[in-house]
Amino acid sequence: MTSLRVVHYVNQFFGGIGGEDQAHVGVTVKTGAVGPGRALETALGDGACVEATIVCGDNFATERADDLARAITAELDRLKPDVLVAGPAFGSGRYGLACSHACKVATDRGIPAIAAMHPDNPGAAEARRGVYIVPTGASTVAMPAALAALAPLARRLGRGETLGPAEIDGYLPQGRRRVHDRGRPGYQRALDMLLDKLQGRPYRSEVPYAPPERVPPAPPVADLARARIAMVTTGGLVRKGNPDRQVAANAVRYHRHAVADLESLSPAEWEAYHAGYFNHLVNANPNYILPLSFLRDLERQGRIGKVHEHIYALPGVSTPVAVSAGHGRSIAADLKAAGVEGALLVAT
Amino acid sequence: MISAIYNFALTTGANRVIRGARIEHVCGDPTLSPEKDYAFGMRIVTTALRTLTVAVPGPTLFDPMAAGGSGEATHAS
Amino acid sequence: MRLELGSFPVTEIVFGAATRYDAGRLTVDRDAVLAAVRQDPRVATAALEIARPGESVRIWPVRDVIEPRIKAAGPGVCYPGICERDIATVGDGRTHRLSGMGVVEVSSVNWHDAGGDFVETYLDMSGHYGDMYPYSRLWNLCVVVEPDATLGEEIKNYAVHRAALTVADQLGEAVRPLTPPEREVFELTPADPSLPRVVYIWCVHSPQAMSGSPTAFCTATYGLTQLTPPWYLHPNEILDGALTGPYRTAFAMSWTVANNPLLLDLYRRHGRDWNFLGVISLRTEWTTQTEKQLMANQTAKLAKQLGADGAVVTWDAGGNEFIEVVRSIQACERLGIKTVFLTSEDDATDGAPTMLEPLPEADAIVSTSFFKNVTLAVPEAPAVARVIGVPTKQVLRGSTIGLHAGADTSLPTSGPLPPPWRYDDHYGFGSLSCIE
Repeated sequence: MTSLRVVHYVNQFFGGIGGEDQAHVGVTVKTGAVGPGRALETALGDGACVEATIVCGDNFATERADDLARAITAELDRLKPDVLVAGPAFGSGRYGLACSHACKVATDRGIPAIAAMHPDNPGAAEARRGVYIVPTGASTVAMPAALAALAPLARRLGRGETLGPAEIDGYLPQGRRRVHDRGRPGYQRALDMLLDKLQGRPYRSEVPYAPPERVPPAPPVADLARARIAMVTTGGLVRKGNPDRQVAANAVRYHRHAVADLESLSPAEWEAYHAGYFNHLVNANPNYILPLSFLRDLERQGRIGKVHEHIYALPGVSTPVAVSAGHGRSIAADLKAAGVEGALLVAT
Repeated sequence: MISAIYNFALTTGANRVIRGARIEHVCGDPTLSPEKDYAFGMRIVTTALRTLTVAVPGPTLFDPMAAGGSGEATHAS
Repeated sequence: MRLELGSFPVTEIVFGAATRYDAGRLTVDRDAVLAAVRQDPRVATAALEIARPGESVRIWPVRDVIEPRIKAAGPGVCYPGICERDIATVGDGRTHRLSGMGVVEVSSVNWHDAGGDFVETYLDMSGHYGDMYPYSRLWNLCVVVEPDATLGEEIKNYAVHRAALTVADQLGEAVRPLTPPEREVFELTPADPSLPRVVYIWCVHSPQAMSGSPTAFCTATYGLTQLTPPWYLHPNEILDGALTGPYRTAFAMSWTVANNPLLLDLYRRHGRDWNFLGVISLRTEWTTQTEKQLMANQTAKLAKQLGADGAVVTWDAGGNEFIEVVRSIQACERLGIKTVFLTSEDDATDGAPTMLEPLPEADAIVSTSFFKNVTLAVPEAPAVARVIGVPTKQVLRGSTIGLHAGADTSLPTSGPLPPPWRYDDHYGFGSLSCIE
C-alpha cells in the first residue's frame, strides 16, 4: 500500500513563526511536517508523510481569505496529496475558521479534507456546510487526543473512503440525518438516557442541538409613505373554491394572486385551506391572514406609498424547511425585482 | 412577520416579529364588535409597518398591545 | 391506589354460539354482541369481522384499536367518561384484560367537519406495512359500523366509538368472573428515598383548536377532549383507560395508550431504578403564545411540586403543538428537573433542524425517526386478498409521493396503497431512529 500523502494547514503559532504578534503574516509553504505535523505523521502511521505544511497568520486568513484560497489551491494542484489536514485549532476562533475555510477550498478542488477543533469554536459551525471536523478539547493540552481522533479519519478519507455517520465515526454532525435502526426500542433508550442524565453520567442526544441560522436584518425602509409594501401569508389563503388547487399541507409551491383591483379580501371570493388551524374564522374574514383591507386604508391615507399588486400565499404546515427556504428565496427575488421595499408576512 | 406564536419566530431567527392575536385570526379578533375588531387589526398592522422603518439588532419582538400603544420592542429570549 | 391487572391472553378468535374465553380461545356470539351494539339507535349498520395475524387482510378506515378491559373489582368502569360512561375515578381494585387482541373501530365517520383532519390510518395484518405496527400481531375483532346519516358529525363520532366500546365490554364480560392465568399488581409502593423521583409528562393533542368545538371527539381524559390545564394522573388510571380514544395517527390508539411500553417500564422499575411519581398530562394546541407558555409553566410547576428530579416527555401530534411540549421541557430544566424527550423528526434536507423549535434545554432527545412515511421512503403497501371495511380509499393530492401526488384520487383499498401520511411512533415501541 502506498503511504498516505498529506498536506497540513497550520497557523503562524503552530508553524513556528510567532504568536499573536505575527497573526498578520501571509502564506508560506514549508516542505515536510512542521510543529504538530510531526506528531500527526506518527499518529497517521504506515509511513504517512506530510509533504508540505501551509502556514498562514490567523488575521491574514480572516481578512484575505481569497488570497489564502489561491495559495492553498496552488499547493494542492502542485502536490495532489491524498488528504488535507487542518489544525487542530482547539478553541482559537480565527484559526478554526481558517481551518474550515482551508478544508472547503480543498474539497472544492477534489482533495478530501478534515479539520479538528473544539465544538464551540466558531469554525465548527462549518460542519453544517459539509466540512469534516473532529471535536477536540479546548487547549493544546488536548493535542495527543486530538491527533489520535483525527488520524484514523484522515487515513480513511485519504484512501477515498466515505465516512459513516458522524455519531459513529466521531466527527461533528453535519445535518445529514438519515434513517437508522438503533436496535433497541425507543422507550428503553429513553429510560437509559434518563438514568444517565439523573446520575450525572455522560449521555448523547440522538438529535444534536444546532443553533438556528441568523440572518442579518434588512436595513429599515427609509420613507414608508413612499414605499411599496407587499403581503405574504402562510395561512393557506385561496380563492373561494380553491380553483388553483392549492394543497392543504406540505406545499411544494406557493401561489401568487393579483389584488390591484381589490379594496379588501371578501369572504365571497376568498377562503382559507390549511390543515393546521381552524379555518372558519378566516373564511368569514380573509383579511385576518392577509391584511389587504388595512393596507388599502393606509394607502389611501398616504401612510404607505403603494400596496404591491401581487400577494403570495401557501399553507405553512408540514412543509420541509428546505422547501420553505426555496419558496422564501423565490418570493423575495420577485418582490425585490418589483421594487418592493417592505413586506408583511402573516403566519398562522 | 406577524404571528400569534411569536417566540418560535424569534428563536428561529425572524428579525422583526409582531405579536398577532391568535393563530386562527392573526390580524384581529372576531369576538369583538366589527369596529373594535378592525381597530385591533389596524393596530397590529400599523405596528408591523412601523417595524419596517426601524433598525433592529437581531430577532426583536414588537407587541401592538404593549403599554403606550405603539408597540414596544423586546429582544429574543 | 392498588390495581391487580389480570391478563387473559387471546390466541384465537372464532365466532360461535356464546361469547366465552377458554384457554386462549375467545369465542364470540356475533348475534348477541351486535344486538348489544344495535341497542343504540344512533347506529345504522354494524358488522363484526375477524382479522388474523399474518393474514393477507387490510382494515380501513381504522379509527381506533381498543384492548378489552373490564373492572372485576373496585370503583368505576374501564375507559371512563368517554361516550357517557361513568366518570368515577378508576385505578383501584382488579381489572381483567384480554391481551393479544384488539377491538378495531372501522367506520367512515371523519373526526370533525371543520376541515383539515382526516381519518387516514389503515392496518395490514401482514407484509412490510403491517410489520411496522404492533397490531398485525394481535387478533383483531373488527367492528364495522356506520351511524345514522342524519346525525351531526360530532355525535356520529361518539356513536361509532361507543359501538366499539360496547363490543369490548361484551368481550370483557366473558372474562370478568374468571381467574386470570396471568396477574400483575400495580402499586406505587413507598420507594427508597435515595432513588431519583421521576414523572412522565404525557402531552396529548386536543381537537378543540382544529374543530372549533370543546367537545370534539379525540383522545380523551375521563371523556374530556378540550384544552385544559395539566392533569395529574396516577398510572393506574391509565391502565384502567382514563386516557383513551384515538388521535389521527396509527400509534395514537386506545391500545397503544393502555399498552404504552414507556409507561409500563417506568412503572415496573419503580422502587428499583427510580421513584415513579405518576403522569402529568398536558393538552396541546393552544393557539396563543401566552396560553402555550402558561401550560408549560404550570406543567413544570406541578412536576416540581410533586418532587420530580427527572421527567420523560412524549407527545402525539405535530405542528404548533410542539411549542407547548418543548417549552414544558425548557420550564422543567429551568426548575432543575432533568428531562428526556422521546419524539419523531421532520425532514432533514439541507441540514434543516428536524424540529419546529429546537431549544438548547432539550439536550436529551431520543428519536423515533422521521414521522412522515414519505421521508422514511416506505414503499406502497402491497395488494391484499381481503378488505375489512370500505372498499375504496381517498388519497388527497400532496399527501403522498408518486402517481398520486398531483390529484385527489380514489383507490381500491385492496391495493397497492400508499402508506398514510404519518408513521410517528409516539411511545417508542420500535427501534427505528435517525442518525447523522
